[in-house]
Amino acid sequence: MKKFIIIACLLIAVSGMAQQVERGTVLIKNGTVLTITQGVKENTDVLIKDGKISQIGKNLAAPAGAKVIDATGYHVMPGIIDAHSHLALDAVNEATTPVSAMVWEGDDLDPLDVGMYRAVAGGVTISHAMHGSANAIGGQCQTIKHRYGTVDPKVLMMEGAPRTIKFALGENPTRVHGNNGAGIVPNTRMGVEFVIRQAFSEGKEYMESWNKYNASKNQKGFRGAPPRYDLRMETIAAILRGEIIIHCHSYRADEIYMLLKVCKDFGIKRLVFQHVNEGFKVAPELAAQGAMASVFADWWAYKFEVYYSTAYNAAILTRNGVVTSINSDDAELTRHLYHEAAKTQKYGGLTDEEALSLITINPAKQLGIENRVGSLEPGKDGDVVIFKGHPLSVYAIPMYTVIDGVVKFDREKDADDQRLYVDPKQTIDITDAVFEETLSHDHDECMKNAEFLLNVKFADKNR
Amino acid sequence: MKKIMYILLFICAGVAAFAQSPKGKYGTFVLTNATIETVTKGTIANGTVIISNGKITYVGAATTAPQGAEVIDCKGKWIYPGFIDGGTNLGLSEVGSDQRTRDLNEIGEVIPQMQALTAVNPNSVLIPVTRVNGVTTVLTAPVGGMFPGTAALINLHGYTPDQMYVNFKGVVVNFPSTGRRGGFDRRTDDEIKTASEKAMKKLNEVFDRAIQYHKLDSATKSKGVEYYPEMEAMLGVVRGERAILLEVNAAKDILEALKWIKERKLKNVVLTGCREGWRVAADLAKAGFPVITGPVLALPSRDYDRYDKAYANPGLMKKAGVKVALRTSETENVRNLLFNAGFAAAYGMGREEALKAVTIVPAEIFGVSDKLGSIEVGKMANIVVSDGDPFETKTNIVHVFIDGWQIPMVSRHTQLYDEFLKREPGVNKSQK
Amino acid sequence: MKKLFSSVLLRKMLSAMVFCWPAMLFAQDELAPVSRTYAITNVNIVQAPGRKIDMGTVVMKDGLIVSVGKNVSIPADAIVIKADSMYVYAGFIDGLSRVGLNKPKDEERGQRPKDPGNPKPEEAGITPQNDVRVSLNPSEKSIEELRALGFTAAHVVPYGGMMPGNGSIILLGGKSADEMVLVNKSSFYSELSPARGVYPGTVMGVMAKYRELYRQAALSRAYENSYASNRAGIQRPATDRVIEALFPVVDKRQPVLFKAERVIDAQRVLTLQSDLGFSLMLAELKEGWDIVNKIKSTNAKVFLSLDLPEDKDKKDDKKKDDSKKEEGKKDEAKKEEPKKEEPKREEAPKTATAEEKAALEKRKAEFMAKYVGQAATFQKAGVKFGFSTLSAKSGNIQGNLRRMIEAGLPEDAALASLTTTPAEMLGLSDRLGSVDNGKIANLVISDKPYFNEKAKVRYVFVEGTMYKFEVKDSKESKDGKKGEGSKDSGVKAEGEWNISTETPNGIEQSKLTLKKEGNTISGTMSGGSINPAVGIDNAKLDGNSLTFNFTFNYGGSDITVEVAVKIEGDTFKGTSTVAEYGSFPTEGKRLPK
Repeated sequence: MKKFIIIACLLIAVSGMAQQVERGTVLIKNGTVLTITQGVKENTDVLIKDGKISQIGKNLAAPAGAKVIDATGYHVMPGIIDAHSHLALDAVNEATTPVSAMVWEGDDLDPLDVGMYRAVAGGVTISHAMHGSANAIGGQCQTIKHRYGTVDPKVLMMEGAPRTIKFALGENPTRVHGNNGAGIVPNTRMGVEFVIRQAFSEGKEYMESWNKYNASKNQKGFRGAPPRYDLRMETIAAILRGEIIIHCHSYRADEIYMLLKVCKDFGIKRLVFQHVNEGFKVAPELAAQGAMASVFADWWAYKFEVYYSTAYNAAILTRNGVVTSINSDDAELTRHLYHEAAKTQKYGGLTDEEALSLITINPAKQLGIENRVGSLEPGKDGDVVIFKGHPLSVYAIPMYTVIDGVVKFDREKDADDQRLYVDPKQTIDITDAVFEETLSHDHDECMKNAEFLLNVKFADKNR
Repeated sequence: MKKIMYILLFICAGVAAFAQSPKGKYGTFVLTNATIETVTKGTIANGTVIISNGKITYVGAATTAPQGAEVIDCKGKWIYPGFIDGGTNLGLSEVGSDQRTRDLNEIGEVIPQMQALTAVNPNSVLIPVTRVNGVTTVLTAPVGGMFPGTAALINLHGYTPDQMYVNFKGVVVNFPSTGRRGGFDRRTDDEIKTASEKAMKKLNEVFDRAIQYHKLDSATKSKGVEYYPEMEAMLGVVRGERAILLEVNAAKDILEALKWIKERKLKNVVLTGCREGWRVAADLAKAGFPVITGPVLALPSRDYDRYDKAYANPGLMKKAGVKVALRTSETENVRNLLFNAGFAAAYGMGREEALKAVTIVPAEIFGVSDKLGSIEVGKMANIVVSDGDPFETKTNIVHVFIDGWQIPMVSRHTQLYDEFLKREPGVNKSQK
Repeated sequence: MKKLFSSVLLRKMLSAMVFCWPAMLFAQDELAPVSRTYAITNVNIVQAPGRKIDMGTVVMKDGLIVSVGKNVSIPADAIVIKADSMYVYAGFIDGLSRVGLNKPKDEERGQRPKDPGNPKPEEAGITPQNDVRVSLNPSEKSIEELRALGFTAAHVVPYGGMMPGNGSIILLGGKSADEMVLVNKSSFYSELSPARGVYPGTVMGVMAKYRELYRQAALSRAYENSYASNRAGIQRPATDRVIEALFPVVDKRQPVLFKAERVIDAQRVLTLQSDLGFSLMLAELKEGWDIVNKIKSTNAKVFLSLDLPEDKDKKDDKKKDDSKKEEGKKDEAKKEEPKKEEPKREEAPKTATAEEKAALEKRKAEFMAKYVGQAATFQKAGVKFGFSTLSAKSGNIQGNLRRMIEAGLPEDAALASLTTTPAEMLGLSDRLGSVDNGKIANLVISDKPYFNEKAKVRYVFVEGTMYKFEVKDSKESKDGKKGEGSKDSGVKAEGEWNISTETPNGIEQSKLTLKKEGNTISGTMSGGSINPAVGIDNAKLDGNSLTFNFTFNYGGSDITVEVAVKIEGDTFKGTSTVAEYGSFPTEGKRLPK
């Protein structure tokens, strides 16, 4: 029976594999430093030593072997964090079942995704690689650092980041599994609540049966059978124990409120709503329960659930005391999250610090990594982006992106072709018409790999 | 069936409920103390613009107002011509994923007679959301097969399509793609070649037939031709009176399209899309046709392209000498036109050219520069007043005039903000 | 005629024919040899990499090697093969393939599964209890193909999903499935292949399911042991064919053979291995150059793929070089009499697009070198590896080996990876892998050193059974003669032919038109059921045997016919084969011009 210590292996797999991460030393000289948590510091240096911020101050000396970046006239801010992304993933949806808590995006990371480099060129250093929204309880997600250049998926995983899981409410799970899809529960929002409550209740029983077994198995003369090992229930039990943060795809106020109540009933505290277009309608309830919100800056009307939306969502949530972030859910949008954050100044008049918090310290809180990243403070990770112009200006251009003290993007030296692996059989004809035809954000990343289950063909935005 | 009816009713009710915005105002308005970027005639500091009976009647330094005019002090504010989006689906689709609200793709491969203007919903909730952000005029276009229909230029104010229409229509033509459509396209090289040859043949067939139709129509003074709506819609094109909006994106396709235009001796052509225009910018410039490109905020078209190619595309084409206007290709977020312009400006186009690309250039391309695109006396009063550089993200648009009407600065988004910023009741029902 | 291939009865009849086919082949098989003792004399013996005997003798008896050396006496009952100056090696071992297996028919997608989250194990691709022997077919063509290259043993695995079943090591010769098997259940074969439309439908689903099943098996195994020690008073362990099939893996008695072609697949497999702790064989690896050290640290056994990306450019290179030379000549000519217009054209390559293209081509070449150099990279890093042929076309294997050698893999290392190393990895060193007394008589004999470009395999022995290969005169040797004789031995294929094919429904008449340009033959088929006319593909004329195939639409479905005939003057005879229906006699007559 000793063998079942393996249950703990999942945790170890996530946290124990930080071996090959490259860490560097960089001195960023004389920039306008936007620390996020400690104000703006003019003509200030930031020293990153062996991957961590060691000092922020004036006239710092460069240690031997340090790379020096002259940031005179530039703005220096913490690396941008995208709390909702599907970059660097092979598969997004295990859409075959309404509860897919056993699967984990850490298993299908794709370090070769050039989209990651493009995100880095937009200043994004960390993203939350999420399962899709096909299931009421989706798969587990993985917080990744954009250490582009490695082929090792484990190097991408942010060491020590808490486990997270995707939930989804409303149209997507009901469409995939209900009468338009597999023909099973949930077909309605009532069904979605039931599926979640059922899973939590069964998870509780599962946890109790194992606890009972574990308590008695070492007693003398005990000869009983162990409960059946169930990876899905293992995950649910971990949620109930507070080891996994829920990130829930949601739009309508009623469904948001439903999950607040379900989580309250099961004593679950760590809860972040994703998209949450109608979060503004239940902002006081969200704030009261300490639930957080990760929203689009201005996306709306692409489906009926988001017809009654407002671009002022982030501002209303922030003003009501909800920890809010701006996310992308999109390989293009993620490249200008700084611009998306700036929209909250137009729509609701957030201050510079509030607006920048939406893409730095707030998403860090939502991912449970705020002690590591999200602001420029000594001791934190050396994840920095350097802008020409103020990052909230439409004319801002990211010039350098630094991750763990390693310069991952330098606009002046940036080569065109950033693919890590090249297909040697590819026919190259650059005047050929071979190219990706998707315009803007017409594709649906959140529902990727789920289409096959649907009777109805949908070619539109369906986030 | 009943269910569908209910849903429809629900949607209609929703639309109706929010259409209760305050009404627009018509009359004489004097905008004073503003910085006026006329676009065509320089910038005027501390200037005045007078709007009367739908037209701009004065631009300059005057300090006195005509009698009965409403004076709006624009101290610290900036005045611009209404911004023009060169390609959208606005008014044709309400909720993207809901087919029942989508009127932009009719069935058929060759249906140039389909009129976008007919399907424009003047009461779309999306329209106020767009115009309060400074976009006053858009080209709205159908999508679909090779000839999906006729696009129309509309002002974003009016209660009938005719009140919105601004004197430009163009026949949309999707130029056949000669290449693979992406990784998922598993056709063999031969199959692709055959398909594109077939499509080219079809395209030429339509034009040949249209020319025959035109000859017959001219010879018989329209009396000898049978009812043939497709060809009727092509008459203007053949005669050079109506523009072709030729959508083409890949570099090779652009070159093919230019060759085809030359062979056909077509004059009234606007190239749209041109996502890879930067690759063949010199050829585009040499051919001399204007280009409407966008969205600027897009990914590069190939995985080996530099990350910022889509941002830089308008600037690269402009630098090569191409006349470039911008578009969002959007429906609900046409309001982001100015941010697209801002990115184009930052990534090489420069602010001045980017400003033109959303004002006077599209006006010229659409043949309405006598009415739109700049602050000049005699032009239609499409005017935007902002509290800063309109491309800057945080800048607010404070006044919008469309065709002389002062637009109420409310939309679903502002209304929801007003209602929910401080919700009443809050968490406890009995308390504020 | 129109009813061709249509009636249900006919289908049944034809499928019966297909089943008969192997038996028919056996009927035509060669006569049994008069002795099972062979002596190969005067041969260069490469016993193992680095161990050579010049001009020695190998004697085999009853399927075993009985003596190897310089001064070996030849038994009286031996059939003597004078392999003068040829080279003999231990037969090659393929680390992963499906050679000899009947390919299951693609199951039609039936109805949408009722509850796709809880499929039966079979629907989910979980059939670890499966046994290769069930679908092993001794007369499968692939066996012959692989054997002709010198392979005498292969690690074969069943078709299936994430856990297709048990792998077995088979000898590439033998009359029945059971006879062929050398070691049954030698591995627990796995892939990262998702199921279609049911759980696990993604690679992350496969990973999760793999962990769950493994841990369930570990718990069950432990409980079963405690139950076995005292059965009274406690619940009996549930029986479960999937879980039970995992017991040998959990007990580390059976290694897991995992297919992993891409760099990312390999790392996912390594993740599972480090999470669960099974002993691992990583096979069909194609992109391993960046993870050599990672693999090394896990002690996984590795089989590198013998499939390489085809180097189209290289093939075209000669042509390009020629044309360049010609262009060069033209350039020189131009210099002599310069024209004003021409220089503009010459500027063209200097444009941005041309530079961009050159840069992209350079990257392609860089990666081609990595794929081809993978084996050399592993060798330099000191990681032992075998080879696998799972996705390699047999026609490319010898060429690919040479490409790997050109890219820096020493010949001895290549030989080791085909012989001693796989024997060791598969635990067969006592029986296979070298030319030594007592080993199973698996040998390959080539007329020149095996990796020589001109080497031809002349004999292969599988457990003492001889397979002899006639060497066809290659085109090159004909080129040597040159002159009139090089005209394809006078066989003329081009022209118009009337074809008649005997089908169970009567005689099908059609017309074949053949054209020849250079060495390529093209043409069309028309008439009869083939309406409209269709082009023919893969036409080849080898000596007087002509082969080609064509696809035509019949009653809404595409039917592909493979034609193989021998031309005799103005007539030909042979067969037309339709995959699902069988072969039919075909005759042709040339139409007068």
